[in-house]
Amino acid sequence: MEKKAFKVEDKLRLVLVGNPNSGKSTLFNSLTGLNQRIGNFPGVTVEKKIGSVRINEKVVAEVIDLPGTYSLSPRSEDERVTFDYLNDSTRTDLPELIVVVADASNLKRNLLLATQLIDSEQPTILVLNMMDVVERNKQNIDIDKLQKRLGIPVIPMNARLGKGTRELKSIIGNYQYKKANKFIEDHESKDALENTINRFEKIKGIIADTLTKIGESRTAVVTRKIDSVFTHPIWGFSIFLFILFLIFQAIFSWSSYPMEWIEGGFLVLGNWLAETLPQGVLNDLLVDGVLAGLGGIIIFIPQIAMLFMFIAILEDTGYLSRVSFLTDALLKRFGLNGRSIIPLLGGAACAVPAIMSARTIANKKERLLTIFVTPLISCSARIPVYTLLIALVIPADKQFLSFNLQGIVMMGLYLLGFVAAMVTAFIMKYVVKSEERSHFVMELPIYRTPRWSNVAMTILNKTKLFLFEAGKIIIAVSIVLWVLSSYGPGDEMANVDAKYKSELAESNADVTAINEKIATDKLEVSYAGHIGKFIEPAIRPLGFDWKIGISIITSFAAREVFVGTMATLYTVGNEENTEGIKAKMQRATFSDTGEKVYTRATGYSLLIFYAFALQCMATVAIVVKETGGWKWPIIQLVYMGALAYFSSLLIYQIFS
Amino acid sequence: MKSSLADHKVGDRVILKEVLDAQLTIQLYSMGCVIGEELLIERKAPFGDPMIISVEDSFISLRKDDAQKMQVILSE
Ligand SMILES: Nc1nc2c(ncn2[C@@H]2O[C@H](COP(=O)(O)OP(=O)(O)OP(=O)(O)O)[C@@H](O)[C@H]2O)c(=O)[nH]1
Ligand SMILES: [Mg+2]
Repeated sequence: MEKKAFKVEDKLRLVLVGNPNSGKSTLFNSLTGLNQRIGNFPGVTVEKKIGSVRINEKVVAEVIDLPGTYSLSPRSEDERVTFDYLNDSTRTDLPELIVVVADASNLKRNLLLATQLIDSEQPTILVLNMMDVVERNKQNIDIDKLQKRLGIPVIPMNARLGKGTRELKSIIGNYQYKKANKFIEDHESKDALENTINRFEKIKGIIADTLTKIGESRTAVVTRKIDSVFTHPIWGFSIFLFILFLIFQAIFSWSSYPMEWIEGGFLVLGNWLAETLPQGVLNDLLVDGVLAGLGGIIIFIPQIAMLFMFIAILEDTGYLSRVSFLTDALLKRFGLNGRSIIPLLGGAACAVPAIMSARTIANKKERLLTIFVTPLISCSARIPVYTLLIALVIPADKQFLSFNLQGIVMMGLYLLGFVAAMVTAFIMKYVVKSEERSHFVMELPIYRTPRWSNVAMTILNKTKLFLFEAGKIIIAVSIVLWVLSSYGPGDEMANVDAKYKSELAESNADVTAINEKIATDKLEVSYAGHIGKFIEPAIRPLGFDWKIGISIITSFAAREVFVGTMATLYTVGNEENTEGIKAKMQRATFSDTGEKVYTRATGYSLLIFYAFALQCMATVAIVVKETGGWKWPIIQLVYMGALAYFSSLLIYQIFS
Repeated sequence: MKSSLADHKVGDRVILKEVLDAQLTIQLYSMGCVIGEELLIERKAPFGDPMIISVEDSFISLRKDDAQKMQVILSE
């Protein structure tokens, strides 16, 4: 379909296209003021993003950020997104300008895609990004000459600092499309490969005329030096394990102080609210339901933020690609790919974006396996559950081989998740059939110093997102749960009051103890209690009581809801609210046998259950989207559910 | 004398002459690894799998299988 002749109008669309890691998203953020994810490895952006920018007083442009691509023939799903967008001829609402973002420090390779786009006869301009790197490498690019040779406007840029965006806007504002000469005539090449060779020959000529360089690139020399340590067969692995250990240590020991302050603060706030607000249903709902649920999760912010910080730093330096290189040989044996390590590590934060990032894996089977096993990696939503349960069943001072036992169990859970993921992949490798060949052709970017402002923004945004997403679900679940546990069918609730009436009337009655008994009994006859009792037989063999059962159900909304649910279930109806939920859970007993609920056996069993079970609707939804149907998410749900159930059963039987 | 890239050692500079796998060819080409280009073998993981090569200033990782399909000659 023929597009209308290009003219800058009051509204137009800029489409950012370029090789992976050339700085498209950095430019996008700088133009639009948005905060799209940036990272120093190929394949950060895997879906289309939209923003807008004012070009001048008259013109406002829509900006599209696309996944990076090496060519116009896609070989992975992220490249396909770009390919499909560029080839969608039904989109004629706005005049479109293709802005090719090229890494000027790798000009030859980046021009390949640029010239292909010129030949597609769409209005195109070229941004030469990373000019600071070019300078550092003592290279010089003759912009004017390059412009003439390519026949399109060329704008030098440093997107990190926003240098060059003014010039870019002024060129766009005054842009007039005139057909550039074809770079390679169609009749010159019979097939794609020959076309590329011809193209490359011509590019070489242009490079020889426009690029001057003195000696070797400094950035390449530095990168080579760092790599001699970081990709060393022994040092490389040791450093990787050390980094993982460091992250672990930071999350689970250094962040305990801010967590204690937050917990204390919430107790004070809760009691203050309870006293200040007028008594009544609203007071109860707010304090027992919402605040209890929310406070349960907010104390984990320091840990979550710390995790996001480390991941952001790793992403920004270029180190992740080295981890891919180090682990490819190992992962290959399990049916995965070195590229799988990026989703797997990302899975430690959250499985949803991690599963999306598997789009960069070109081989379909390797991609499917990666998607299938990523939810087994312990994500940030498990941190609250793990932390609470471990503190509950393992005394803080308990040692094992002179190590702190709480720390060992925590590390064990992460290892367990990883091992389960690998074993699962290994089994799947034989189940899923594929003839497709697998490659590991991947670019390793030069090392860059992380941009601290970017790291800070990432932490802030992701933590906010975690809080809001979790908060929304927790508030909703807390309210529903509070209603379900404050009311019961028929007059069962009233019967409880009647039962204790005479006891309370006695002169020497211990009012506090009796009130607590009333609260417990009432909860059991509430709607929540009835639901819990109904499922209890199925989970009792795992050592779980009905309250845990309710938590497991609510956790399907998201795992961190566990903590909120526990907090609500143990707060409802209690007059006194002086202890954290840990202390309340510690005293919990089974209603029939009177035995303590949170023994070591139940604790371990529940930990394993949360490590393995796929209790996350968002993950299921993204797997549906990424695999294009319900087949794989259902298999995954059943598989992980069965794994969780039977592992917990086994653990409980061993420890009790 | 053509030989496979996998048979060369770290530090060798070679010229790419032929790629024996169509899919791999396209991948390599679009990353600037085109016939006639000089490649430097940067490093190899244990057992030579995977390896890192450089073309100009880009570093690219390859598996041994991939390298075996790439015919090269030593560069002067
Ligand atoms: N030195 C320097 N680094 C830059 C510049 N622009 C971007 N970067 C860095 O280059 C890396 C890649 O940037 P991104 O914006 O994520 O690249 P992208 O093109 O969106 O990458 P994909 O989404 O993977 O295709 C990041 O580490 C940026 O901080 C620049 O002008 N100079
Ligand atoms: Mg991007």
